[in-house]
Amino acid sequence: MTTWLVVGSLVLGAGALWLLLPRGRRAGRSLGTLLGTIALGLLLAALEPLGPGWATALFYLLAAMTLVSAVCTISFRNPVYCAVWFGLTLLGTAGLLFFQGAQFLGTATVIIYAGAILVTLLFVLMLANPRGQASYDRRAWEAPLAATVGAALLGVFLTGIFSAWQVAPQPQSLDEKSYALAPLGAELFSKHLIAVELAGTLLLAALAGAVAVVAQHAPRNAPLASSTQPTHSARSSTPEAQVR
Amino acid sequence: MTALVLKSVVLITGLMLAVSYLILLERKVAAWIQDRRGPNRVGIPLTRVRLFGLGQPIADGLKFIFKEEYTPSHVDRAMFLVAPVVILTTALATFAVIPFGSVVPVGGKPEPLVVAPGVNVGILYVFALSSVAVYGVILGGWASNNKYSFLGAMRSSAQLIAYEIPLGLGILGLVLFTGTLRLDTTIELQARSGVWLLLVQPMGFLVFAVAACAEAARLPFDLLECEQELVGGYHTEYAGMKMALFAMAEFLHMLTASVLIVVLYLGGWHFWGLTGSGNLISWPQALLRVAVFWAKVMLVVLAFMVIRWSWPRFRFDQLMNLAWKVMVPLGLVNLVATATVAQFWPQGWRQHPWAVAGIMWAVSLATVALWALVSPVGSQAQQRRGPDEFSMRRVEATS
Repeated sequence: MTTWLVVGSLVLGAGALWLLLPRGRRAGRSLGTLLGTIALGLLLAALEPLGPGWATALFYLLAAMTLVSAVCTISFRNPVYCAVWFGLTLLGTAGLLFFQGAQFLGTATVIIYAGAILVTLLFVLMLANPRGQASYDRRAWEAPLAATVGAALLGVFLTGIFSAWQVAPQPQSLDEKSYALAPLGAELFSKHLIAVELAGTLLLAALAGAVAVVAQHAPRNAPLASSTQPTHSARSSTPEAQVR
Repeated sequence: MTALVLKSVVLITGLMLAVSYLILLERKVAAWIQDRRGPNRVGIPLTRVRLFGLGQPIADGLKFIFKEEYTPSHVDRAMFLVAPVVILTTALATFAVIPFGSVVPVGGKPEPLVVAPGVNVGILYVFALSSVAVYGVILGGWASNNKYSFLGAMRSSAQLIAYEIPLGLGILGLVLFTGTLRLDTTIELQARSGVWLLLVQPMGFLVFAVAACAEAARLPFDLLECEQELVGGYHTEYAGMKMALFAMAEFLHMLTASVLIVVLYLGGWHFWGLTGSGNLISWPQALLRVAVFWAKVMLVVLAFMVIRWSWPRFRFDQLMNLAWKVMVPLGLVNLVATATVAQFWPQGWRQHPWAVAGIMWAVSLATVALWALVSPVGSQAQQRRGPDEFSMRRVEATS
């Protein structure tokens, strides 16, 4: 029963995604929305209730919000709207992590993705004036292929999750200790120390690269401190020549 | 569940009332500093009782509610509507993890005065929500479809993002010392030892307070609304209740910053010889703790207001220089010093707050002195100004 529900929702979802992706014409978007809603309902119906009534309701609400805003992220035409929908996806994900008791991961998701990366993205989008883009830039490439691959990927994940669920149907209860941050930090800085250090070095290299790109445009002989006002420093560096 | 609903209702009602009266307080402080009287007319309606203008917030609120909800035709409607909602929601949601007192004895059991008492990452939660609040500013400025609003939104979000780094760096030393990210535990630690963390982390406090002021976008840092340069700011196109949401969010941000400063550095509800430190307390003692807490918060708020009306606004490059060249290095020095003490202290450094405080003060003063010796304040400004453009033109004209 569950298998058929999931397969049905995947097929319907792929069709909905294909109809919803920006393909250059508006026809079929309402049908896509309808199909998508049915697919979402089937997918949520396939899940077993998770606990007391309000907890289940909260989970369904967060999950539906995350999925709907994720679909909106790729189906809206205006890039700024896409970015805002993506922000909502991140908030939904963070909410789900909170729901599972992973408070640190939830807040870290919001701080890093929503607070830093997405805001920078929004800057670029807004400064690049999205309304002025050509139509071929605002269209989804290979919409049918993308929808099929997305549904297939989701199917693989869901199969894995459901089979793991059948092995251990009872979720282990979390005690106060497993909420703590210290074990996570200890794990990161002992077992995964090299990965953490490598990631840090990569970020540092990116930072140095950004500084190098900016410094390229500064005049060669001017002190770096005054690079915020290039015209002034360029002139004041050779005052005698100016006076002459 | 009942306790949760009750606490939320009390907190939100209290915050809304506090915000409206903070606006009055702000105007009174401004009037006091500028040698005026300030709003003093509105009292009880239909009588001649004036009550020092205490009716002013209610009159303002009614005016905001009944004003025409005007939406200009050139705006992006959906985002125009979403922006004030985002900014106020995040400002309010921050208070879910912030303790507004100690505990109250309900049925012989201590009930913590926090809406969400189980949150383990309280400080990070506050930071996460304050980073989401940036969206309200950016979207408001962008949706207005107005160059000046957009400029204001751009530079203010650059400011908010830049100051999140010193904000985080400032408290890292404190978190190392307390070993927790919970706000209530931080207060309990200070109450038990009797040493407020301002004494232990002087440089961290400086960095955090400046960054919190910038995050709240109070006047020396209020580049997001700048009447002289931007007509109004990111909310120029807003009117009526939407404008009121922005104004409320601004004051809520200030309140958040003040509460965080009190909780983290000024001992929360603790006062020596007055409040005790345990969790088993009677009702009068619980109320006394609440009173002490909010008295401290009000003092910090007053300090914020006096700062606002005493300082001119920073230029954008000064703002960025302060963040990246002053606050970030100071925060790093503070973090490294605290970590060094933690590493090389023989055993149990948290049991000796006075000794740690002595070391940290010595390090702070040494850092400032060294900085002053290596790069005196005046040197950078002189170097940048040089022979200025206008005098050079005059030389050209005369020769």
